[in-house]
Amino acid sequence: MQVNVRNKGSITILDIEGKIIGPDALALKSIIDQQIQTLSSEAEHGENLNLILNMERVQMMDSTGLGILVATYTTIRRNDGRVVLLNLGGNIRSLIVMAKLMTIFDCYNTEAEAIGHFL
Amino acid sequence: MGERTEQVITLSLPSSMQHVYLLKAVVTEILKETDFDEDTQERINLAAIEAGTNAIEELGDREDPGKPIIFRLTLTGGELTISTVDESEESTHKESETEQVITLSLPSSMRHVYLLDVVVTEILKDSDFAEEIQEQINLAAIEAGTNAIKHGNKEDPSKKAIMQFLLDEDKFTIIIEDEGEGFTRKEVADPLDPENLLKSSGRGLFLMEACMDAVTYEADGTIIKMVKYKEAAVAQ
Repeated sequence: MQVNVRNKGSITILDIEGKIIGPDALALKSIIDQQIQTLSSEAEHGENLNLILNMERVQMMDSTGLGILVATYTTIRRNDGRVVLLNLGGNIRSLIVMAKLMTIFDCYNTEAEAIGHFL
Repeated sequence: MGERTEQVITLSLPSSMQHVYLLKAVVTEILKETDFDEDTQERINLAAIEAGTNAIEELGDREDPGKPIIFRLTLTGGELTISTVDESEESTHKESETEQVITLSLPSSMRHVYLLDVVVTEILKDSDFAEEIQEQINLAAIEAGTNAIKHGNKEDPSKKAIMQFLLDEDKFTIIIEDEGEGFTRKEVADPLDPENLLKSSGRGLFLMEACMDAVTYEADGTIIKMVKYKEAAVAQ
């Protein structure tokens, strides 16, 4: 699994590639936690804590990965920030639907739409 | 990781040439844990295929064709040793003549979860299961493996997680056994319960059950048996 971090204004985009399973899922968690920590320390009241998780190149995700998405959501909300999911593939979407988490996450199919969420 | 403990992985295959690719796939995945450069990894891989082919040719014609060929892969530090084991055990119990039985025994380290992905992908790639169904089976195997290694064996590398994969004409069965204390399925919280929705763990068993047609818990939960039927796969 690989993660590329880039910024668009006050929005941080994580392009995730590969399989979010096993130890790689935990590696993703530490990358996300690091981003949240950096962004939280830079901004007051979560004004820069805007995260997009681009899942376009995620081939597979297990329950550990799913748990990390949930943990990201709760941590970001606690810090007054926002997180959205971008480009969910069919299997990842089914997983989120199956776990009844579709109501929790805001999901978008294009980067422009996802960025629009924060404007 | 600089880990020096010896890790022994055993792979038991039916005596047929097509399964040599399963050995190659497992070796490729294990080599990722070593410091060997790409060229060396490629050479080790070729040697593994050669060794696997020889073993199948030599041992495959024995009196007991049902007896599996067992490969032992020992990883010590950056060193990988591949050997065949003659444990002179009895033929693998088969439910039918067409059933192919593959067994993988792993030390309980979470990094070996990737091997499950590799093995299931390799076994199912020429099967009749649709790609989407193969992904579901793969996910269920990873969840069951995670459950055995992490929750059952508490990631104690001296404890084994043993996975049996049984491919038959009408179904694919996975049996996972750990050396832990077991658990009671009914006592595991429902992750779909609104009060559990925002919990960051506890979805493994639920996903296994959602992905497979039947999941049963035996021996106090230390053995999990999961089945996916081909007909049900077609019906979907």
